[in-house]
Amino acid sequence: MSKELQIKLENLLLKNGQEGKVSNLEPLTGGASAETWKFSFSTKKGSKNLILRKGSGKKSPLAVLKSEEAVIQQKVRESGAPVAEIVAISKDEADLGDAYLMKLVPGESIARKILRDQKFKSAREKLAFQCGKALATIHSVPIEDFKQVPKKSIREELNRLYTTYKSFEQPLPVFEYAFKWLGDKDFSSRKDSLVHGDFRLGNLIVDEKGLAAVIDWEMVSIGNPLLDIGWMCVNSWRFGLSEKVVGGFGDLEELLAGYGSVSKEEISVEEVKIWQVLGSLRWGVICLIQAYSHLQGEVNSVEKAAIGRRVSETEIDIVDLLFLGGK
Amino acid sequence: MIFDRPTSAELVEAVAIFLEEKIKDNLPNHLAFNTQIAINILNIVKRELEQGDKLSEDSKEILINLMGDSKKANIKQLAESVSTGDIELENKELQKALIEITKKKLSVDNPRYSTYKKLLK
Repeated sequence: MSKELQIKLENLLLKNGQEGKVSNLEPLTGGASAETWKFSFSTKKGSKNLILRKGSGKKSPLAVLKSEEAVIQQKVRESGAPVAEIVAISKDEADLGDAYLMKLVPGESIARKILRDQKFKSAREKLAFQCGKALATIHSVPIEDFKQVPKKSIREELNRLYTTYKSFEQPLPVFEYAFKWLGDKDFSSRKDSLVHGDFRLGNLIVDEKGLAAVIDWEMVSIGNPLLDIGWMCVNSWRFGLSEKVVGGFGDLEELLAGYGSVSKEEISVEEVKIWQVLGSLRWGVICLIQAYSHLQGEVNSVEKAAIGRRVSETEIDIVDLLFLGGK
Repeated sequence: MIFDRPTSAELVEAVAIFLEEKIKDNLPNHLAFNTQIAINILNIVKRELEQGDKLSEDSKEILINLMGDSKKANIKQLAESVSTGDIELENKELQKALIEITKKKLSVDNPRYSTYKKLLK
């Protein structure tokens, strides 16, 4: 299996003008929609570490194809945001199916290490500003280039989330409240942008100097840019360090200052709060989806069963934000 | 109750402690991870066995105060009343009920959760 993969990788790289040997193939994660491999590639000029991201090839309504993800990353990188360099793209089954290769960006992506290890101390101080700057850069990429990226208006997104929630027939008054509260809001003041869709610790590579790369672009869409800012500020990704609104490491004001260093859009703390409520609600519905895939599926999963009881964490974050001055 | 001690909560607790102290550290990483989740689940069950009835009764009382009719005083009906607008979003009693019931859920699901701990103070 891995010998066959090795040859396919070498052939794809050769097609892209790079002749060399693949070694140290190592699987990184076994996600449902994508597999990720790390490997070394040695050419006459030297050796480098590369990453393979390979999709199932099936077009999912939620995620873009890996080959599309790669093109988006290239465009975003050209605009100056910290994104890994794409080395090769595969669309053909004879190559690697729907997949791409990128340079490995050295650094840490495990949230708890970024938040607690001494060596990231000075990185943490700059990280919120850098995240804001990266987001503003991503959001200012011209969207005419992205015909293949799904357009998700926030109204449609809310309707989709509500339908999903309702389908499980598990009544949650806090969710009903939040859906209704969000339904009264005006989301029309922002222009459509490229939205990462899952911008949070876990999908950021951080080194001693701060933000090194934004990874995992499979939830990308064209939509309201505030979605990324609100999502980054959801309490679920603060890993217990809830005083620091941005990912458990920074303040919202720093993130907005970073954003403002690139973008002219004016964003207030109050507006972000609406998107934090939306973010908590979105994560809560994702927890429900996971739990019910265990309850209705054939495979027993303690992880998915347990996540059903994390829905209440999103409920308490929502009531805190809405009624108790939570941040 | 015709059953002897250990109570169901005490039995579940015994298994949780056994997994924690004797099993977890002797497993490869991915199994240790899932065993930790299994321990967390047993602790949820233990708390629900110990406090669940009382928490549900107290919630019922909150719902009766909010909705009047005791036949209507359940979570499903509350969700529907919020959705249809029968109870308005501005209703302070509604907001208080949502806060209190959610806190009760967290006291079983995850009493270590940051927002829950903050709201207890």
